[in-house]
Amino acid sequence: MATPDPDKLMAKADKLTKLSFTRWTADWKNATSLYEQAAIGYRFRKDNEKAKEAFEKASKGQEMISSDCNLDKLDSPWDAAKHMESAAALAKELGHWNEVSDFYKRASELYRECGRAQPASDALAKGASALEDVVPDEAIQLYTDACVILEEDGREQMAFDLYRAATSVYVKLERYADAATFLLRWGIAADKCHAVNSQCKAYLSAIIIYLYMHDFQQAQKCYNDCSQIGAFLSSDQSRCASKLFSAYEEGDVEEIKRVAQSSPITHLDHVIIRLARKLPTGDLKELNKEEAKEEVLDENDLT
Amino acid sequence: GLLFLFHSPPPPRESHLHCSEERGDREEELKTISKMSVIDILTRVDAICKKYDKYDVDKLNASNVSGDDAFARLYASIESDIDSAIQKAERACQEKNRAAAVALNAEIRRTKARLSEEIPKLQRLALKKVKGLSKEELAIRNDLVLALPDRIQSIPDGSTNGAKQTGSWTSASHMEIRFDSTSDGMFESEYFQQTEESSQFRQEYEMRKMKQDQGLDIISEGLDTLKNMAHDMNEELDRQVPLMDEIDSKVDKATSDLKNTNVRLKDTVNQLRSSRNFCIDIILLCIILGIAAYLYNVLKK
Repeated sequence: MATPDPDKLMAKADKLTKLSFTRWTADWKNATSLYEQAAIGYRFRKDNEKAKEAFEKASKGQEMISSDCNLDKLDSPWDAAKHMESAAALAKELGHWNEVSDFYKRASELYRECGRAQPASDALAKGASALEDVVPDEAIQLYTDACVILEEDGREQMAFDLYRAATSVYVKLERYADAATFLLRWGIAADKCHAVNSQCKAYLSAIIIYLYMHDFQQAQKCYNDCSQIGAFLSSDQSRCASKLFSAYEEGDVEEIKRVAQSSPITHLDHVIIRLARKLPTGDLKELNKEEAKEEVLDENDLT
Repeated sequence: GLLFLFHSPPPPRESHLHCSEERGDREEELKTISKMSVIDILTRVDAICKKYDKYDVDKLNASNVSGDDAFARLYASIESDIDSAIQKAERACQEKNRAAAVALNAEIRRTKARLSEEIPKLQRLALKKVKGLSKEELAIRNDLVLALPDRIQSIPDGSTNGAKQTGSWTSASHMEIRFDSTSDGMFESEYFQQTEESSQFRQEYEMRKMKQDQGLDIISEGLDTLKNMAHDMNEELDRQVPLMDEIDSKVDKATSDLKNTNVRLKDTVNQLRSSRNFCIDIILLCIILGIAAYLYNVLKK
């Protein structure tokens, strides 16, 4: 059985698995190995469609093995998951996007059955990055799930990259409020693993996003909330944020630009830096007018 | 003083009445001068000056002014304030005690502010017509009032040197060139020659300070980048610690498995290759060969 025709292998394997009169139980073990070989053969031939199917079937076979035979239980979900991942990669190349997300999710579940959280979230992350351009909402969902998996396992440190990728997708979609909320979640994760620098950077990024949305009150509130945390209060990033706020209050555009060029902001993620360079958005005088209006309303309420 | 003896004083407007009396006295004194020595002359000069003080024009003007004219009164008070402020400024410059200098400067500044406030009042008074005053005098008064603000501002109060003073704390060792005590206003005064050296030195000092500031800025930027990188590296290492632990335990398990396997393999191979079995194999082989040879011989015969 050197390199026989993958089609033949597939046919053989199908025969083994199809239930008919002569065959009462499907012989998954042999079938799976045949499927695997067939899939590799197809991939070698760059016949992605057939290879994908072969991988799917191989993965199913592995699952079946695991449910029948107890001995292989430890290994089989792992192999099944691996095959699923290969199938998903091929589906990505083929452009079957919903299949991509399904396969990666299935692979992640199988990894979780093995009790390995890291590969599970990795699978979801791979799926999300594949879907980023095409179906961004799905991608965000996958990223969030991946973060949840890691957090449940207590390995938040690994989730930082996922948070970063998810925020960049949000910003691309211009869903800035969601991006800011996600950054605050990042801050919580960083807090749990005592990564002070990342935490402060996450908070500063959130404040910048609020200012980019020209929502000065939100930004102020965010800053006040974050100042409750001692580590942030005494950090460079909070000093930078307060400088930014005072520049906004004075309505000094030059000062804002200067603070945006300063070092704490240049050490943030490049997506955030791009937003910061575009500050200030909108008219600064409007901010002051809004504040004045608010004061007038207050007076009316009191009298 | 001596000239005063030989020339008649200009008769003041309001005191024509006393003139004839004084002339009589003067004639008497002229007679006695020829019989005197130098010291006697000096004493007589002092006595005559005192007598004719009432003809002193400036003093008369001063006493006149305090009489009726409101403008002139205010103007005179402002002038006297300016003079006292200038004196204070000079004292502040020479003052070695920093705190006292600062206090004096603060006083001068307060005075300047007060005087600047009085100027609009003075302006209004200047425009008012006072009886007995000619049109020219009115114009002159206006000009005087206009000139006052400049004079007030030009009083040195050490504020122009505030920034430089804090910078020159560090170079207090150069006591002979005291550039932190000279103000910009005094450069045009009689002290200019003394500060020629110090102005050159000061320029060089400013240039070097600027270059140092630029260099320090660059260094601080680099340090910020280093700090950020160090923090990130720290977090990365923290992230990898549990991974390393996992790898450690897994590799330990693998090595122990391997050791077990090796030992078992060794046993098995030894069992197979043990010398007793080997000897038995050889003996059996010889026996078989012997039997084969015997059979061959028998068959051949």
